[in-house]
Amino acid sequence: MLFFLGHIFPYITITVFLTGMTWRVLIWLNSPVPFQLTLFPAPQTFAGRVMSIGWEIISFESLWRGDRILWLWAWLMHGSLAFIIVGHIVGIYTLTLEFTLIGLSPGTSSALSAGLGITAGIVCFLSLMVLFYRRTAIDEVKRLSDPVDYFVLLLLLAIVISGMHMRLTSLNIDLTAIRSYLAGILTLHPIPIPRTWIFVSHFTLVNILLLYFPFSKLFHGAGFVVNRGMLTEKPPIYPTPATRAGEARFS
Amino acid sequence: MKIKVPMYVAKPAELKAIGFSYTSESDQRDLAIKVMAELRNSMRSLMVMLETCTKCGNCARQCHSYLGTEDYNNFPAARAELLRRVYKRYFTWAGRIFGTFIGAEDFDEDTLGKWLTYFYQCNECRRCARFCPFGVDTAEITIMARHILSELGILPRFMQGIALNMKNTGNNMGIPKPAIMDSAQFMEDEMREETGLDIKIPVDKPNSDILYIPSSADFFTNVDTMLGVAKMFHVLGANWTIPSTILEAANFGLLFNYQVMRSHNLRLQQAARDLGARLVVQGECGHGWRAAKMYTEGCNGIFPFGLVHILEYCAAHLDRLRFKRLPLRVTLHDPCNYTRAGGVIEQPRKIIRACVEEFVEMTPNREDTFCCGGGSGILMDEMMDIRLKLGRKKVEQIQAVGDIDYLAIPCSICKAQIPAVLKHYGIEKFEMGGVMDLVGKALVFDK
Amino acid sequence: MSMITVKGRQIEVDEDGFIADPAVWNEDVVRYLADIEGVGELTEKHWKVINYLRDYFKQFGFAPMIRKLCKETGFPLKEIYELFPSGPAKGACKLAGLPKPTGCV
Repeated sequence: MLFFLGHIFPYITITVFLTGMTWRVLIWLNSPVPFQLTLFPAPQTFAGRVMSIGWEIISFESLWRGDRILWLWAWLMHGSLAFIIVGHIVGIYTLTLEFTLIGLSPGTSSALSAGLGITAGIVCFLSLMVLFYRRTAIDEVKRLSDPVDYFVLLLLLAIVISGMHMRLTSLNIDLTAIRSYLAGILTLHPIPIPRTWIFVSHFTLVNILLLYFPFSKLFHGAGFVVNRGMLTEKPPIYPTPATRAGEARFS
Repeated sequence: MKIKVPMYVAKPAELKAIGFSYTSESDQRDLAIKVMAELRNSMRSLMVMLETCTKCGNCARQCHSYLGTEDYNNFPAARAELLRRVYKRYFTWAGRIFGTFIGAEDFDEDTLGKWLTYFYQCNECRRCARFCPFGVDTAEITIMARHILSELGILPRFMQGIALNMKNTGNNMGIPKPAIMDSAQFMEDEMREETGLDIKIPVDKPNSDILYIPSSADFFTNVDTMLGVAKMFHVLGANWTIPSTILEAANFGLLFNYQVMRSHNLRLQQAARDLGARLVVQGECGHGWRAAKMYTEGCNGIFPFGLVHILEYCAAHLDRLRFKRLPLRVTLHDPCNYTRAGGVIEQPRKIIRACVEEFVEMTPNREDTFCCGGGSGILMDEMMDIRLKLGRKKVEQIQAVGDIDYLAIPCSICKAQIPAVLKHYGIEKFEMGGVMDLVGKALVFDK
Repeated sequence: MSMITVKGRQIEVDEDGFIADPAVWNEDVVRYLADIEGVGELTEKHWKVINYLRDYFKQFGFAPMIRKLCKETGFPLKEIYELFPSGPAKGACKLAGLPKPTGCV
C-alpha cells in the first residue's frame, strides 16, 4: 500500500495533471473564435491586455465591484493558498532556512517560516469554511451548487487540515526526509515514502487533488485566461483586412 | 412541448416560409446534441464559458432580468446551467460518468420548453460578464442556445415574422419600396416646410460615398432620428444615400440564428458594393451595431468598406456643425450594445452636450448601464408582463435622475421598450427620442 | 391562428387579433374588432383614420408613417390614441385590416 502511494501514485497524478491540463487547453485553443467577443471598454494594445488580465488575477476586481464579502473571502482563500504553495516550495527546499538569506539566524528563520505558514494555513482554513458556509446560506448559490462544489471545498479543507496537523505536531515530522523523498520523485529516482501517516495522508490528499484537477471546476484558472483573452481582443478596424494603422477613414 | 412558454411560437408553415423546419419530438434530442457538437467545434466560447463557471454567484445581484423577475432561472449562472447541464452530460467525461454529482443532466421532456422560456428572458446585455471573475458571458450562451432551438425549428413567432419581412423586403418592418419612397418624400416635404431648405433623403443614389443604414423604425415611428441624420448630412455636404434593399441596421439573425445573421449581413455588403459606397454608417440600432462591427468579418469575410456608427460619425464632425443649444435637461440611456458590446461610449455624450443646455448622467452608466429590458428582441406584445419586470431596474434608474425634459435613447429596441414600460409605471412627464433627434432640432443652418 | 365569427362568417385572425387576409375586411369586421379593442362607438373621426389607412395600404402596400397619418387626417397623435386606445399601429391598423406592424415598434 505504502509502495503504491509512495512510488506509483505520485507519477500517475502528476502525469494526469500535466497532460490533462495541456490537453484541455489545447482542445479549447483548437476551436476558433469566428466572431470577436470584445467586452468594452477594452485595452488597445497587447501590453494593455496583459495588464488588464493580470490586474484581475491579482485583485479579483470583478468581485470587488460586485459582492465585497465574497471578494474578501475568495481573495483571502486564493491568496493564502498561493502563499502556502510558494511557502512549501521555498520552505522545503531550504529546510525553513530561507530567511537566513536576509540575515536572520537559523532559529529565527525556522520560527518565522513556521509562523507565516501557520498564519496562512489558518487564513486558508477560515476562508474555506466561510466559503463553504456561504454556499449553504445564500439561497441562490445553494440552489446553484452541485454536490461536487461542496466536495471540492471539503477536499481542500482536508488538505489544509492535514497540513496544519503536520505543522502543529511537528515533533514527528522529519523535513529532511520529506525533502529527500520529494527530490527523489522529481528526479525520477524514487525512494520509499517517509512512514509518518500524517505526512502520507497529507501527501495523498494533494495527489488526489492533482488527479482530480483537470476534470473539475478547479480548472477555472485556465478558463480565466482563455476566456479573458477572448474578451480583450482588439475590435476590427474597417476596412478589413486592416492595411493601415489607426481608425477607419471618415469621408 | 409540455411547458407553457410565454411567447407565441412559430408554426410549421411559418417556419417553412423562412427556410426552417420543425424537428419531430423523437428526433429533437439527437439534433440538439449534433448542433451543440458543431458549435463546440466552431466556437471556442461555448466550451470555455460552459466549463469555467465556479458557481460563485456574483452575477446574481447584477442581472436586471433576475432582479426584475425574481425567477431563479433568470439568474445568469442558473440560466447558463440550463444549457451547461446537458452539455456536461454529453461532452465531458466527468459528466458522462458522474451525472448529477457534478451537475450533468440528460435531456428530458421539459428541457426545450425551459430553454425557450428562459433564453428568451435574457436580454443579451452582457452585464453579467462585467461582474464574472472569468468573464463568462451569458449573452454568448444565450445566443448559442437560441441558435440550437432555431435549428430544431423552435423560435418565437415574433422572430419568424421579422425574418420573413427581412427576406421579402430587406427590412424588419416589411416596408416595401413604394412606401419607402413615399416616406422619404414625405420627410423631405416636412423638412422643407420646417427649414425652407431642400434637404434630401436620397434612396438608392448611385456613386454615393456614404451608405447610411437606418433602423426601419426610423421610417415609421422614430422619424426625428431620420430627420436629424438627413439634416446633419446636408450641413456637412455629404454625398450619401440609403439603400432600399436593406433599410435595416438591425440584424435579428444575431438574436436567434447564425445563418440568418450571415444572410442579413451579406445584404449589407451587397448594398455597399452595388451603390459604390466607401463608408457604411450604421444608424441608431444597438445589436445591429454589434453585429455589423464585431460579426461582419466572421460572417462574410473581408469587408472592404469603412464602417462607423452614426454617433461616431457625428461626434467626429461636431466641429463642422453649429448648434443653438436646446433649453432642455437631458439624460442618456446607454444601450448595452453600444457600451459593453460595441465601444460607443463617449460619443453620444459629446453630441448631447453640444446640443442641449444641461446633460445629467444616470447611475450606473456607460459599461455598467442596466438594460432597458427589451434587448435581444424581447418586444413581443404577449410577453408584456415579463417585459415590464425586465425593465424595472431601468425605470428605477430613470426615476432616480429626477426631473428631466428629455430622455435620449439611441437604439430602436430601447425606443420601443422604454416608453411602453414607463407608460405602465405612470411616468410620462418627459419627451423621449434618439440622440440624432436632438442634433436635428438644435442644428443651425447657414442660409 | 383562430377564428372569429362576424355576422355568420368565419374570419381567420392571428394571435394578436389581426385579420389574416386583408381581402375579407368589411365594415362588420371593423365593428366586431372595435368592440374587442374597446373603441366604443365608431364615429366619423374613426372612419376617417380607417379609410385613410386602407387607401394608403392599397396604394403603397404598407401602413403610412405615423406622422403622415396624423398630418393627413388632421388628428394629433394624442387624439389618435383617444380614438384607438391601442394606438395607431396596434389599434387603428387592426381595425383597418392591415397587417400588424412588427419590428422595433
